[in-house]
Amino acid sequence: MPLAEIPLQSTGWLILVLLGGILALDAVSWPQVMVSRPLVSATVGGWLLGDPASGVIVGALLELMSLRHPPYGAARYPDAGPAGLVAGAAYAAAGGASLGALVAAILAGWGVGWIGAFTVQLRRRGNERLMADEAALAARPESLERRHRLALRLDAVRGALLTAGFVAPAVLAAAWSVGQPASAAATAWGAAMLVTALAASAGAGGRTSSRGVRGWPLLLAGAVAGALLVAVVA
Amino acid sequence: MQGSWNYRTMIGGGMAFTMLPLLRRIHAGDPVRLRDSVARHQSAFNAHPNLAGMAAGALARAELEGESAASIERFRTALRGPLGTVGDRLIWAAWRPACLLSAIAAFGMGLGPLWSVTLFLVTFNVGHIAIRIWGFRRGWAEGLGVGKALHETWLDRVPRWLGPVILFLLGLDTVLLSRRVLDVVEWEGFFGALAAVAAFVALVAFRWPRRTGRIAAALVLSMDHKPARASCSAVGGIRQALVALRVQHHG
Repeated sequence: MPLAEIPLQSTGWLILVLLGGILALDAVSWPQVMVSRPLVSATVGGWLLGDPASGVIVGALLELMSLRHPPYGAARYPDAGPAGLVAGAAYAAAGGASLGALVAAILAGWGVGWIGAFTVQLRRRGNERLMADEAALAARPESLERRHRLALRLDAVRGALLTAGFVAPAVLAAAWSVGQPASAAATAWGAAMLVTALAASAGAGGRTSSRGVRGWPLLLAGAVAGALLVAVVA
Repeated sequence: MQGSWNYRTMIGGGMAFTMLPLLRRIHAGDPVRLRDSVARHQSAFNAHPNLAGMAAGALARAELEGESAASIERFRTALRGPLGTVGDRLIWAAWRPACLLSAIAAFGMGLGPLWSVTLFLVTFNVGHIAIRIWGFRRGWAEGLGVGKALHETWLDRVPRWLGPVILFLLGLDTVLLSRRVLDVVEWEGFFGALAAVAAFVALVAFRWPRRTGRIAAALVLSMDHKPARASCSAVGGIRQALVALRVQHHG
């Protein structure tokens, strides 16, 4: 795909970076209305580059992959807001009809998500220092308020930097993969493996919401219902 | 409330920040009592963010009624675990996945992308905001006796009801999304054979979820299998670069 055809201009990049900050803030700090979920952030990323349908596919795939990592307590989990935004923008920029671009976008999203998880840990350690002097903060509550607000701003800056660093490389990688030659057999093999990986993620994600191993018939029943639906629509 | 989350006091700082406007009114003109109460509330505390309002309401009521520092501290310690566990099971493991998977199913059945996302945001936030309001009101109404609200049966029932729904939707979504992926490549292979393999892998992953990362990674990397290399040129490119480096090294 020629570089000139990539629909990412400097204004679009800037909007994505600002949005990355807002989405990162939503995940944990405030207001947790879940615009940071990959289903939403990837759709917004795709929509900004003119193709929300491509964005929502990447977002839904990342969503199923993330189900295994709920944000319990101090657990590490992918920073899904910037990750979905980057992945959705990358796949939409590539035109949204290439397996290579889809895989590149998913890998970019997954990578950004886990790099984001590492930066969240750094932020939490930074907050530890910010809120360390408890006696002084209790004596001057206005400084407690200032530091809490500073922590919120730093979280937004973290998300913006994460998006700024990865959105352009992800878009370029997805766009580059579109022009690569692929045989029909190779493409079919790749698609089959992606579907199987998706099934593996779904199976593991199911256990997060299931209290035991007895839920597997329901998982299968859902899959059968889905297959019937696909057959009827086809 | 979670803005200054850290490994030492967790949401302690956020709890003090949230309660400050009320503490200032309760202890107006008494800076020593204000300092002591801020110090109490910024010490280590944790709760699920959607249920933290219940603790905030109860603690605000306790401060207003002049409860002793020792009983407030006991209450904070006793409430930490249950508020986290109940919230995690209710919101992170049940309500949020149910809303997400419903929206993905709606998209798979033909609802537009922006409508699907709107469906998720509206359904999730109706429940999320209702729980926040309910939690704060119960906390404020019950004060230090709010612990009994956590024994209400619906808090346990909702995750139990939603568990099977989530599993069913997960199976449904996997097939509907797979169809979308196969549509991207205009796949014309045997859908039945692929479905059987995928179902087998899903069940293995369901049984041994901790090993799934390796299974999924192996499958994605298997795209580098000779006939598939060209379909995932990024992986193929890395492999070729590694082979070239190895040849250079041996040379």
